[in-house]
Amino acid sequence: MKRLIATLAVTTLALTAAVRAEDKPAKVTVGYLNLVNAQLVTKHLGLLAKEMPGVDIKYVKIGGGGDMLRAIAGNDVDFGGLGNPPTAIGATRSLPIKGILVINMLDYVESMVVRADKNITSLKDLKGKTVAAPFGSTTHYLLLQALKEEGVDPASMKILDLAPSDIAAAWLRGDIDAAWFWEPDLGKAVKNGGKILVTSGEMAKRGYPTWDIGVVMNAFAEKYPSYVDKFIKAECEGIDFWLKNPEKTAEIIAEELSLPLEDAQRMMKGTGMIPCSTQLTEEYLGTSAKKGKFVDTLISTADFLVKQERLPKLLPRADFEAFIQPAYLEKVIGR
Amino acid sequence: MSVEATHMTIPISPDRTRRGSFRLRLPKVSRSVLLSTLTVAVLLAGWAIVTEMGWANELFLPKPQAVWAAFVKTMTKGYQGATLLQHLGASLYRILTAFTLACLIGIPLGVLMGVSRNARALLNPLIEFYRPLPPLGLYTLLVMWLGIGESSKLSLLFLAGLPGIVISTIQAVTSVDPVYVRAAQSLGATRRHLLFHVYLPAAGPLILAGMRISLGFTYTVLVAAEIVAASAGIGWMIWDAAKFLLSDVVIMGLIVLGLTGVVLDLMMRGIAKLLMPWA
Repeated sequence: MKRLIATLAVTTLALTAAVRAEDKPAKVTVGYLNLVNAQLVTKHLGLLAKEMPGVDIKYVKIGGGGDMLRAIAGNDVDFGGLGNPPTAIGATRSLPIKGILVINMLDYVESMVVRADKNITSLKDLKGKTVAAPFGSTTHYLLLQALKEEGVDPASMKILDLAPSDIAAAWLRGDIDAAWFWEPDLGKAVKNGGKILVTSGEMAKRGYPTWDIGVVMNAFAEKYPSYVDKFIKAECEGIDFWLKNPEKTAEIIAEELSLPLEDAQRMMKGTGMIPCSTQLTEEYLGTSAKKGKFVDTLISTADFLVKQERLPKLLPRADFEAFIQPAYLEKVIGR
Repeated sequence: MSVEATHMTIPISPDRTRRGSFRLRLPKVSRSVLLSTLTVAVLLAGWAIVTEMGWANELFLPKPQAVWAAFVKTMTKGYQGATLLQHLGASLYRILTAFTLACLIGIPLGVLMGVSRNARALLNPLIEFYRPLPPLGLYTLLVMWLGIGESSKLSLLFLAGLPGIVISTIQAVTSVDPVYVRAAQSLGATRRHLLFHVYLPAAGPLILAGMRISLGFTYTVLVAAEIVAASAGIGWMIWDAAKFLLSDVVIMGLIVLGLTGVVLDLMMRGIAKLLMPWA
């Protein structure tokens, strides 16, 4: 009898141990934004699959921040990427996500393009013109902030809500005079009679930085914390690859987005890629002990959205600080 | 013949049947009204209980009070630069213009296809081909062809409404009793007489049923039509609010759309009663 119990105990232990070891997600879904950043490299090189052997990895391309928010709210992704306005919305609406990684900083990969033959040299010349931006995105935020800074009334022009691909189509047809949006569609407008008036990078210098942050669903992070580390590791590898092999990266991006190589090279230069160790500095995520400037961007974005009546109230700073979780990255970097 | 037979019975003893049915009818109507009210009340109560008890995430299902507050706010202060009535006006303008166009083109087309086999053979492939196409798929092409202005929105709504009208008109015209046609012809009716005095009145009720269904279809594509480059309209309001996770505004918009749909349908039935008292 004793032996039987002992064997039973041993097998139970072995079984639970086996179950523990097996405790990994069957499937990981990564929602990635349709824009130029190192996530394309990570995806193309299969870095995530290398970090997570035996896990079914699914990449879902998502058109913009609004769609990403819905994907998160609907629990359709495990990892996602969001620009600062959708992040501010998600954090205020207490979506179950945490920001864990800087995917990219937005420079002139996002710009306001204006028709070259319309004599638009400043934002003031936009009066009476038709301007498009995807509402709720980083560029919609920057457009309204830029207008406010220069004292131009948004009501003096027609501002339309269009998805980036629709902006490109409307631009080719001549339906709009200006648009603030991003690559790869931005290039189509520039090539067809467009000229860049303001870039998102210039706005960053004026105190309105925009960025995309990698997020993880809380439930996933609680259940499989080590897989969050693996995800970050893979993304960091992609960022390192981007920084070390710009030529090969351009080839990958050209292939992933079906673009000519020179377009991919130009777009890469317009995107700020932050090495993972730098992300833990004050300029970006900061550390678990002291959160960085991303919190400030989030607060000012949320404040803007509250004034726009698109968010009900401004949350206290602590809530935004809680949203940003550099702990996983700290573990990966080894700090 | 059966249609005629029922027509005949009414004038024989109008008083008795009227009075008899009147007495029976009143409780019947109030009973169905009561039952309908019960459904609505149960729904509302269920909604209130689920949200009060915190069983549903408020992000997805806000409290009825929140939806009401969104309604009041949108009515008085507006949502993103337009009040609820302005949003509703923009949408109703689009729906009614497109629907009227669909009727103006669809009914004659349906009559033509109903009376002429050649016309049916010529046009059927076209209608049957595009009818099952998903509106959003069609819309991407319409935006490229017609731009982001009103014309692409109206076209999408028009195309959504057209097949229902055409098909039901064909059905209505082909099911007109040939005895009527022959009787009129033997009395010397011309093609024109036949059309206006036989085909249309006889087919009227079925055409109207088709119009009501088609108005419903037009409604179903409203949000899709207003996704692209609209800055007013109930569909756009719902779409924009969803981007900012304002589910109270989304639900309020859907309720307003549903109620307006019901009112429009009632209006169409009323017009039909005026125009076609025999139906």
